Amino acid sequence: MTVKQLLQYVLDGLSIGSIYALIALGLVVIYRGTGHINFAQGEMALLSTLVTWWLHDKGLALLPAIAISAALAFVGGALIEVGLMRPAGRRSAFAPVVVAIGLFQGLNSLSGLLFPKSGQGLPFPSLFPNKPKDFVSIFGAAWRIERIGVLAVVLVITALLFVLFQKTKIGLAMRTVANDATSAKLVGVPTNRILMFSWALAAVIGAIGGALKAGIDTNVSIGSMFSVFLLSAAAATLGGLDSPGGAVIGGLSLGVIESLVGNYPHDWPASDWIGIKTKTVVAFLIILIVLLVRPSGLFGSSRVERV
Amino acid sequence: MTATLRARQIRYGGSLHWLLRAVVAVALVLLVWKMVSGTTPSGLGKYTEAMALAIAALSLNLLFGFNGQISIGHSTFAGISAFFLGYSIRFWDNIAFVSLVEACVLCFLVGMVIGLPALRLKGPYLALVTLAIAYVWPTVARQFIERKVTAVTGESALTKFLVRPPSWTGLKNTRQDRALYLFWVSLVLMVVCYVVVRNLRRSRVGRALVAVRDNETAAAVMGVNLARTKVLTFGVSAAMAGVSGWLIAAEIGTVDENSFTILTSIKYILALILGGAATLTGPIVGAFAYFFADDYLKRHAPHWSWLPGKFGSGPIASFLLGVLVIVFVFIAPQGIVGLCRRIGRNIATVVPEPIRGPADEPNNLPEDLPKNMPKNMPENMGESTS
Repeated sequence: MTVKQLLQYVLDGLSIGSIYALIALGLVVIYRGTGHINFAQGEMALLSTLVTWWLHDKGLALLPAIAISAALAFVGGALIEVGLMRPAGRRSAFAPVVVAIGLFQGLNSLSGLLFPKSGQGLPFPSLFPNKPKDFVSIFGAAWRIERIGVLAVVLVITALLFVLFQKTKIGLAMRTVANDATSAKLVGVPTNRILMFSWALAAVIGAIGGALKAGIDTNVSIGSMFSVFLLSAAAATLGGLDSPGGAVIGGLSLGVIESLVGNYPHDWPASDWIGIKTKTVVAFLIILIVLLVRPSGLFGSSRVERV
Repeated sequence: MTATLRARQIRYGGSLHWLLRAVVAVALVLLVWKMVSGTTPSGLGKYTEAMALAIAALSLNLLFGFNGQISIGHSTFAGISAFFLGYSIRFWDNIAFVSLVEACVLCFLVGMVIGLPALRLKGPYLALVTLAIAYVWPTVARQFIERKVTAVTGESALTKFLVRPPSWTGLKNTRQDRALYLFWVSLVLMVVCYVVVRNLRRSRVGRALVAVRDNETAAAVMGVNLARTKVLTFGVSAAMAGVSGWLIAAEIGTVDENSFTILTSIKYILALILGGAATLTGPIVGAFAYFFADDYLKRHAPHWSWLPGKFGSGPIASFLLGVLVIVFVFIAPQGIVGLCRRIGRNIATVVPEPIRGPADEPNNLPEDLPKNMPKNMPENMGESTS
């Protein structure tokens, strides 16, 4: 492996990892509000991506298609919170998790029902030029424009999200709810509206992340978001489920690990076990080890329990 | 839960109670008889698979329902055991039952090892780690087992291993008799697993499990060894999941890397939730309900004429199942068993034998509590799922 290749693999990893980071942010937004992992995050993204595909297929340009789909996702996410999650939360502490698992199955098969051809995979256009000749040479390494573009778009969105979290009133309210929902309610924060907004935001993040991932794969199918969800959930866990910064760092490092392991040279030792087929396994093992040392992830806050 | 409507009280161990038990027992025997008489091998196979699912749900109930540790990785144990059966029949010429015992021991040990991180991880973090294990398993199966199998046999998976009925049963080595034999084996195994969970739950160990679930600190203060309790529960639960995988493999006769994935684990969870977590009979009821609802929908839903055209061809069954699970959270949060119990309470309640003085007030104890429990304990402590 030359330095040139290494640089290339790192960039590839960063751009895939940035998508994990984005979806992981969606998970963190919901986790901070409710304390649950949203198992349906990937399938919400899948449905939005298929809607984007459909709009594009009907003749709309890709960007407006993504925008419309994201707007629909915003409404859909809010509806899921109001119609399902909130009433379920009143039932028992575990009920929202069950509803999310039910949604995972329901939304996945709904996508299959609405878009029957998505079982085999539908061709999805990329936002950026992705022909073999579309690359720039930096330090001798071939950096593909598409990957640079995805990374840039995600970093901009992430920056906007951080501005939202840290500088706006709604972000302040979100942080208050994350810190202590009951106290937030007592001081007059509209907790319910904040949770609704969190779900809507997570759905929008899913719509954008899904479209970017489908663009890189040039294809979207029923199963394509499941692994994205798993890796994003792993990224969020690695970073600490309640830390947005952790989610970004977790996602990027997961992407780089995956890319480096996936391109492990065949003539190096143990290449039977380390390579394209086991890249996710290695990534998960690393997460397992990190969690054993730091049970709340790298940047997660560990709650001190008082007895 | 004080019922406004005063229901009829049935004394625990009284003649009416025994009569009820007898009726239930007869009904169960009739049900089993109905299942086996004149059923085709594929019909018997469905019952076997449903019972295997019930065993998996029982094992998950022990871990999650009673001990509060969530695992999305139970498919891994089922997978280990399934491969073990295939491997030992094809390559070691083992007797199937020896491989069952060995597979259980193996799953128990692996479960304890995986249970170790559970000591440090809580809630969603534990869910994620077990999820990761379930995700890693198919790759491990392919890299470690299937490649070896392929090198020897040239097949891409472990196939065509049969569990033959031993001669003392009088069953021949035909498809019908093999299915019948497996049906009885799975019935016995399911009952054994049920009794194990039931007896554990009613013993000192079971009370320790629930205490750890409800409040770890309080349990530790009371003298419960947290580490030992949690790790052992994980091990026992894993061994039971292994039994489930063994049965599935014996029934299907083929196992490959995609036989036991995360989706299998999710199926276990849904079956448990459907029946009712933290109840004794819930996993069995839920597994049968889930399996046959799934089976029914898969066979019939595509032919429903009232569905709009293209809907009939797609994964309508799996969609409806997802909807069903969500609906269940709202109409029966404690599962089918919880729902039945709630209805049953308005008709009749079983009250325990009075310990101190006469029973002068109704005491709605859930059925899975020990009968000699002091009367001043909180009423539904065995039921809370938080």
